[in-house]
This record gives sequence, structure tokens and C-alpha cells, in this order.
Amino acid sequence: MSDPAKLQLLTRSSGESGFEIFQVDSGQAYSGFKPQRPPRSEWELRRQPLALDGTRNFVLNSLRQDRYLLLNSKEHFLWEQFDGRNSLEEIARAFHLEYGAFDYALIREFLAKLYHAGLIEGHRTLAPLSNFVRANGSSRAGRLGRLVDAWRRFALRSTDADRYCSMIYLWGGFILFYRAAFWLVVAIAAVALAAAFRLAAHSMEFARILSTQPFLSTAVILLTLAAASMLHVLAHAIACKAHGRRVREIGFFLLQGVLPTFYADVTDIFMSNRRARLMVDLAGPMVEVFLGSLAMLTAHLADPGVGQALLFGVGVLLWESALINLYPFSFLELDGYNILADSIAMPMLRKQTLALIPNLPQRLLRLRTIQRAEMIQIGYFVLCVVSVLVYVVLHLDVIGGVLPVSSQ
Amino acid sequence: MQIAPDYLRTVALFQDLNHDALSTVSALLVAKKVPAGAVIFRELDNSDALYLVEAGEVVISKHVQGPVDVVLTTFSRGDFFGEMGLFDAGPRSATAQAKVDSLLWGLERKAFMNILSDHPEIGAKICYRLVSVFIDRLRSTNEQAREAIRWGLEATGYSPAANRALFDRKST
Repeated sequence: MSDPAKLQLLTRSSGESGFEIFQVDSGQAYSGFKPQRPPRSEWELRRQPLALDGTRNFVLNSLRQDRYLLLNSKEHFLWEQFDGRNSLEEIARAFHLEYGAFDYALIREFLAKLYHAGLIEGHRTLAPLSNFVRANGSSRAGRLGRLVDAWRRFALRSTDADRYCSMIYLWGGFILFYRAAFWLVVAIAAVALAAAFRLAAHSMEFARILSTQPFLSTAVILLTLAAASMLHVLAHAIACKAHGRRVREIGFFLLQGVLPTFYADVTDIFMSNRRARLMVDLAGPMVEVFLGSLAMLTAHLADPGVGQALLFGVGVLLWESALINLYPFSFLELDGYNILADSIAMPMLRKQTLALIPNLPQRLLRLRTIQRAEMIQIGYFVLCVVSVLVYVVLHLDVIGGVLPVSSQ
Repeated sequence: MQIAPDYLRTVALFQDLNHDALSTVSALLVAKKVPAGAVIFRELDNSDALYLVEAGEVVISKHVQGPVDVVLTTFSRGDFFGEMGLFDAGPRSATAQAKVDSLLWGLERKAFMNILSDHPEIGAKICYRLVSVFIDRLRSTNEQAREAIRWGLEATGYSPAANRALFDRKST
């Protein structure tokens, strides 16, 4: 048999105006190719609960590359076939027998994902055949685009977070995850709520006092919110450790490319059970509930003045922050959304909904063909739209109420 | 059996020909009725003619492996296929089969050569149209080749470091 023909591939880097040329064997593309999983010690697979739409997902963790993939049942079926003994042709036939359809695109895309995550043996890094060919000049639009891209991707992260979180957990963090600690926070919050109702009668007076100290008020509120946000994220991370899973990183990034946000990457919690995920989701907002309650109780005990007004304002803001975090229908992947997604076992609900929106009018015209998953996505979308509108209207009302006070 | 002049005008190959030229060409065409499923020619058969489709549908496919062919295209009324056979006596590059009962008109290489020698102005117009069709079909083949190569590359691990959809949970 003759040697496989050589293919030359030209690749372009994003943001660059040049290209590189690579050479590969075309023979690798034969359908006799037999994909093979890495050894069992290099990956972990976790079956997820049955989703509300009747589907079943699996989370696959590449221990070698620390990457995770969400597999649907078809992809899981393929994964089971990739044992190095079955050729792509045989796998495609088995797939057809199992699902009554032959979906080459699914197989191809799944394989590409696995290669990227280091979950199939034999990934080949393209080695350049010739020197990088660079075009002369660089457009102003290109530079601006790269700047915007860099801004959107801006992030600060600690990849040693797991070690630090383990230490915090072992040195006392574990106390937070006793059942008694939870009920203690609930009790404190209940007492604080009663205190808040009593203080609410003075809320206009507090607003007036704070408006006389705008810089102090703003600085204290911003610093408190930033500190609470860091503790919130730390609580997620320590909760992850409490369930024996790894914290991949803790950091700071721009949510949706805009909103400065602290985060903890707790993807490894998907290797545990649903209860563990819900605990991790809840741990963060409990920080705001607890701190907000402390602020409110202290305000209740404090003498009237700037301090009391600040404590009341901080308490209200922290509680509001907890509520916003816990509310699932905001289009953002906040804790409430995660609780919802974990409860119904649809971790991609938001992304699937956003993907559905452009086709929504067409899908609504064919109501009879709408599937259960799409019904859930439409429900989520409608609730998000209504919630955002209500939130905006309510806060316009608050702004309208505050403005006359500010102008006094 | 006579070919309808109205039909002949719909064939892209002859769209530059006037009435007299069409009459000249139509006299050289040979009718061929093909029942559904029948093979018109097989891959590797000797090439000897081009076929016009007046009615029905013809599937062009190329053998891949075992019982599997890949469908390259499907032709229907007004289309033509087998044009390589007008110039080249080499083996057919693909198989043509009727999808439904079809009526075809064959133009044999010998007849085409006669047009080129006896009516060079008609031959030139037909050749010009043939080149246009060759170009279109070559473009389409390039696209198919690109897709096949992409499949093979992605399926066997060759890829630039594209950002594949990884799964993560960033709690904020």
C-alpha cells in the first residue's frame, strides 16, 4: 500500500494578519480510525440526575488537563464506544442502531471537544511547515478590536486557590457547614428582620443623613459590598472543599465583559451529588444574609446618627444583594440560577435559552412541535423578561422617591 | 421520437444557440427511457456520451466503501450529466442511476465531434457553456473536498487550538 498522501493546511491566528502552513497525512482521515479514551486513571465520569426535560447528562473530567465536558446521552454513548477497538465506521453503525439516525456532525464535533480536553489519545499539535507569514501593516480597527477583546477577557486569578481553601476549611471553615451554623444564621436573620421593621420607620431620616455625607456613604457602602462579595465567593469555595471537591481557581473578572465580579471556579462539584451543588450555591448568599443581619442588629443597638444610618443602609444593601443573588430569573448565572439549574438538572438552561431566542418566533408558530426542553427554556425566558421589567420599574419608583430627599 | 424544441431551449448547454442550430443538434440526440432504479452508467465504465434530462431525476454517486456510495448530486429536468464523456474516453468518474422513471437524451461523443468539425460556430457556443458548467461543478467539488478534509482532521485530532465548548461553573 502506498504512503498516505500529504495535505497542506493553512491556518490563521485570530487578530493576526499572517498565516502558517502545516502538513499532515491524509491517511489519518480514514474511517478505519479507532478513537481511544485515555487510561481510566486519567478521567472521571459522573452521571447527573434526570433533568426536568427527561434527558440525562454526564460530566466528564479530564484529570490530565483539568478540563470538564458536559455530555448528553448520545455523546455518552459515543464515549463508551471509544475504547480503541471500534473504528469510526463501526461506531457510526452502532450509533445508528441505538438512535435510528446517523449523525456524523455530532461524532465529529464530540471528537473535536474530546481532543481539546485531552480525552482522546493522539491529539496532534500542528507543527508549522514554513515560517509564519506576516502581512504588513495593522489596521486601527484591528488594534481596537484586540483591545476590546483583551478588556473582555481581563481576569485576575489564583490557581493555587485549592490549597488556600483547604487550609481555611481545616483551620475552622468546617464549622460553617454544621447544620447548627445554618440554623443560627436563620435565627439571627429572623431577629434582624424584626429589628429592620422597627428601624424602617426612620428610613427617610436615614436617607437624609446619608445624603449629607455622600462621599463617606459611598465609600463605606462600596467597600462593604466588595468585602462581602469576596467573602461570598470564599464561602462557595469552602463549601466545595467541605464536599471533598477541588476549587480550580478563585479570581476576579468582568461578568458579561462589563460587571466587575469575584468568582470561584467550583466546576469539580459536578463530580459530587446534587445536594452538594445546592449547598455550594447557597453558601455564598448566606454570607450576605449573615453580614446584613449583623449590620441591621448593630444599627438597632446603635445611637441615632451617621453610624446607625450607614449600618441600616449597608444591611439593606446586603440583604438586597442576597435576594438578587438568590433570584433565578435575571438572565445572569447567579446563585439562584445555579440553584434552579441544579434543581432541574439542566446546567445549560441559560445558554440553551439564549440560543433559542433568535428562533423563538418560528418555534412559536409551530407550537405542536415544541419539545419539553424548549417549553422550559421559553418559561425561563418569559420569567426573566418579566422579572427584569418589574425590577426596573420598582427601582425607578425608588429613585423617584429618593430624588426629592436628595434635592432638599 | 422527437425532442421538443421548447425543452431544448431550457438546457443551459444550448442557451446560446438559435433555432437552426438547435435543429441541427436535436437531430443528433438519441432518446433513452430509463425506469426507476436503472443504472445509466457505472463508475469506471467507458465514457461515450453526455445525457440531458427531459423528465425524471438522476442520482450521481461515487463509491466509497462496501455497499456505500456518496451522493454527489441529483439532476432533474433541464440538467445534463456525463459531459466528461464528450471529450474523454477514460472511465466514468461516478455512477448515474434513475431515481424515478426518466426520459433522457444522449449526445454521443462521435456526434459531438461531428458538430465541432461541421459546425464549428455551434461547437464553440456549446464548448463555452460547458466550460462554465465545469467551473461551477469544480467549485462545488472543492467545497465537498474541504468538508471531507475538515471531517477527517477533526475526527482524528488534527486541529488548531480552537476554543471548544468546555463546561465550567464559576460561582459569583
